[in-house]
Amino acid sequence: MAGGLVKSLLLLGAALAFAILVGAVGVVALRLVWPGLPAWWGLIIGLAALVAVLPVIARRYAWIMPWYYVLPAIVFLLTFTFFPVLLTFWLAFTDFAGTRNGLLNVATTTPVVAVDGSHLTVDNPLNLNCAVLRNGCVDVRAEVYSFESLPVVVTAYADGVLTLAEPLPRGREPRQVELFLPELGFDFSTLVAEVDGLELRLIRAPPFPPDLDVVTVQMADEVRRTIVAHEGAVFTLDAPLPDGFEATAIARFNDYGFIGLQNFATILGRAQRALIPVFTWNITFAFLTILINTAFGVLLAVLLNNPDLRFRNLYRTLLILPWALPSIITIQVWRGFLNENFGVINRVLMLLDITHTPVNWLGEALAAKGAILLVNLWLGLPFMMTAVLGALSAIPRELYEASRIDGASPWQGFWGVTAPLLRTALVPITLTGFAFNFNNFNLIFLLTEGGPPIEGGTATARGTDILISWAFNEAFRSQGGFAYGLGSAISILIFVITLAVSLVNFRVTGALKEVSNT
Amino acid sequence: MRRADRRGFLLLGLVVAVTVAGVWALLGNLPEPILRQRFLVVPSGWVYVLGAFVLAVLGTATAAYAYGLATRPGRATAYALTSGTHMFIWGVILATFYPALILLAVSFNPRDTIAGALPREGNLLVRAGVLPDASEFSLVQYQKVLSHTHMLDYQWVLVGLLLAAAIGVLATKLAGRLAHLPAYRTDAWSRVLGLTIFVVAAVLVVSITPAQFYGLAADGTRVAPASDRTILLYIRNTLLVSGLTGIFAVLIATTAGYAFARMRFEGRYQTLLSFVFVQMFPGFMALVAIFWLMVRLDLVNTFTGLVLAYSGGAIAFSAWIFKGYLESVSPALEESAMVDGATRWGAFWRIILPVSVPMLLFIFLLQFIGTYSEFILATTILQGQEKWTVGMGLRAFTAGRFDTQWGALMASAVLGSIPILIIFYSFQDALTSQQTAGGVKG
Repeated sequence: MAGGLVKSLLLLGAALAFAILVGAVGVVALRLVWPGLPAWWGLIIGLAALVAVLPVIARRYAWIMPWYYVLPAIVFLLTFTFFPVLLTFWLAFTDFAGTRNGLLNVATTTPVVAVDGSHLTVDNPLNLNCAVLRNGCVDVRAEVYSFESLPVVVTAYADGVLTLAEPLPRGREPRQVELFLPELGFDFSTLVAEVDGLELRLIRAPPFPPDLDVVTVQMADEVRRTIVAHEGAVFTLDAPLPDGFEATAIARFNDYGFIGLQNFATILGRAQRALIPVFTWNITFAFLTILINTAFGVLLAVLLNNPDLRFRNLYRTLLILPWALPSIITIQVWRGFLNENFGVINRVLMLLDITHTPVNWLGEALAAKGAILLVNLWLGLPFMMTAVLGALSAIPRELYEASRIDGASPWQGFWGVTAPLLRTALVPITLTGFAFNFNNFNLIFLLTEGGPPIEGGTATARGTDILISWAFNEAFRSQGGFAYGLGSAISILIFVITLAVSLVNFRVTGALKEVSNT
Repeated sequence: MRRADRRGFLLLGLVVAVTVAGVWALLGNLPEPILRQRFLVVPSGWVYVLGAFVLAVLGTATAAYAYGLATRPGRATAYALTSGTHMFIWGVILATFYPALILLAVSFNPRDTIAGALPREGNLLVRAGVLPDASEFSLVQYQKVLSHTHMLDYQWVLVGLLLAAAIGVLATKLAGRLAHLPAYRTDAWSRVLGLTIFVVAAVLVVSITPAQFYGLAADGTRVAPASDRTILLYIRNTLLVSGLTGIFAVLIATTAGYAFARMRFEGRYQTLLSFVFVQMFPGFMALVAIFWLMVRLDLVNTFTGLVLAYSGGAIAFSAWIFKGYLESVSPALEESAMVDGATRWGAFWRIILPVSVPMLLFIFLLQFIGTYSEFILATTILQGQEKWTVGMGLRAFTAGRFDTQWGALMASAVLGSIPILIIFYSFQDALTSQQTAGGVKG
């Protein structure tokens, strides 16, 4: 009667596939009536389809009901966590980057001067900028255009919108508009953003009013081909152009592709300059910050756990303040405190003559590391203190009473009773803290931005960068702002390490065993 | 009085006298401060201050010991330890509060720079720029960052209502404590007031629009506000996004948590495991994929898009917490309801949900606070200044400018912290104990 896991997943998958299909078809169909319909309507239509189809399935297979309770969560996880993770895994084996983002690159549009079957001769091959792609332009998709200049009659112009006297002919897409600006005395051309009946909206409004008598619209027809070879100015396509198609220009896509383990090889190749220093500091940081925070946390918790101490609840409430303030705000405020010339930290240090010259907290690698540890102590101490207090409250009071009656001093009581019992409770707390701080992107990014740069390092792996901020820099701040393949490869590395730490944690706490037993 | 007692009090007096005299001597005879690289320096100042602190701690402990000898000799050591502890903890509290104090002080200072000249006279600490100059207290910074905010009349009414309800909550708490009222008599009031605050705050957040931050120029055209004058809009945006995320997470995670806790079906364990492990992937590396999705769905630069993306990351954790909670609730209630003919869904809807309202509130708050501090995903999806969240707005003060306006930044930071500060301290016990329990359990 009850279905197996595979059968359940198949049924749910079928229902989801049906919903996605209905949603996609629904948007396409509705756009025929309302052309500007946003795509998220597909979500609503798909959801409605899902709600309609689920009871039908449940009538036939009643045992699927428990899955319906989990389905909303599964859908969200699949879309916003699982799918991105899979995509990242795939991108780690590609050369995806800002210059290779899979989109059509309009800037490479180059005039075609001659056509011979599937061979095109272009005016200036450098314009296609093949050097940034893996194999030159081989195996890269391209669009071949056939432009036709169409003089049009314009009745009005305002704010980048041209009003035409009659609608444009169908069949070809208006792509570009050429205008003459009498005040400047030269031509101005810009791309067409959208056509709405007689109105033609331009992407860029001309700086001066154009001459409405001489307006031409470039109407384009295009075919998509793949470049299979090229030599000099001659590009060979995988298939000849259709009959009667007058090629006038070509533009290529920013294609990316599978490059195997090359990203990982790049990481290893930069081991001396990036991987090793970053990884070493990452481990050192996570380890030291947990060590410092735990030491202070245990000290405070043990002091506050004393039942004879008055105001202990007040103290706990006061000490929790850094936890109650949003870290995104306090970290940025700390940046100001650490300012070399005017920050309060240096003022205190100088006033008390602790340092002889002001410390350049954010400008020197070693000082920046110290600053990170200091700020993280301030930020993380309340959590550590509360966690240890929680662990301490689980130790029965009678044990202390007994040890006191036996004549033990408080010192002996701590080492004989508290410490051994606390040790087991501390393992999961510190492991969780380690895993969290190992990936503490917000702290590094908002406090030092990974800086300062160090001699012999790379531009993306600097003095205080940890693995995750290095991955971020590679992915969003290099090679045209976007070496995503490389960043993905680093994040897989991080994933493996985090997974390992968490597995150890689960083993220690038995958090998952409790699941499997039931 | 016994002789031992007398000796104890004598010792107490002696210790107090020596300690006070010692601290006085140390701090009163500080070397003359000098200027070094525009910093005020007391040569070897740390020796004096550290010495005074150690002396004060030791003196207090010894005095407490002497007091113990005089009153309860058996507890003398405990007295000494406890008083030393108090001193030490106050030291830690000072260190913890110092940054927060400076944050407040700079926000109430009329000068917009931390680089200004320091006062030439007055207390040594004020002259050194270590403590704020109380004589310069002013609300200029707050007036500045709020100057482009135009509240409508009914919004002022809502604010008034909010304040009244907040005062009501405090009064109820105080009355309950002072008059020793039993909890059931104050609880109903607290609940009504709490609900009022929630609803009014929600209405207020939804009612504030970016248009309220535009100014009117002399010729009647609308003027866009400067990015450092719209902190209230950023707070409103953040509250909206965080609130919706919290609601979404609760809605979706409860049914899943219920199924995991109460139903036995094949694939339950595997699904739970995959929930846990998928969460460990460094979340923000999914940025490109999420952005790709949002472009396809026309949800770039919309709050809906950001809320959906946040909820996707919040659900596994929320479901896990709710499952843990339900496992601690006895299934007897639902079982008896189901024996009486209720369906599974009916039992969940009528029995389980009402019982778990506090837990749902907790999950909501957890996600609320978590997304309040999120930054990277928001930067990716939201683009226009009108959509910025608090974190993005504050970054505009420090990033990409030569001259940070510290006063305005700190005033904005204070305003931006207030909502979370209130929420955190209102639900302090639930939030801290549950979060650390999560740490202990993994």
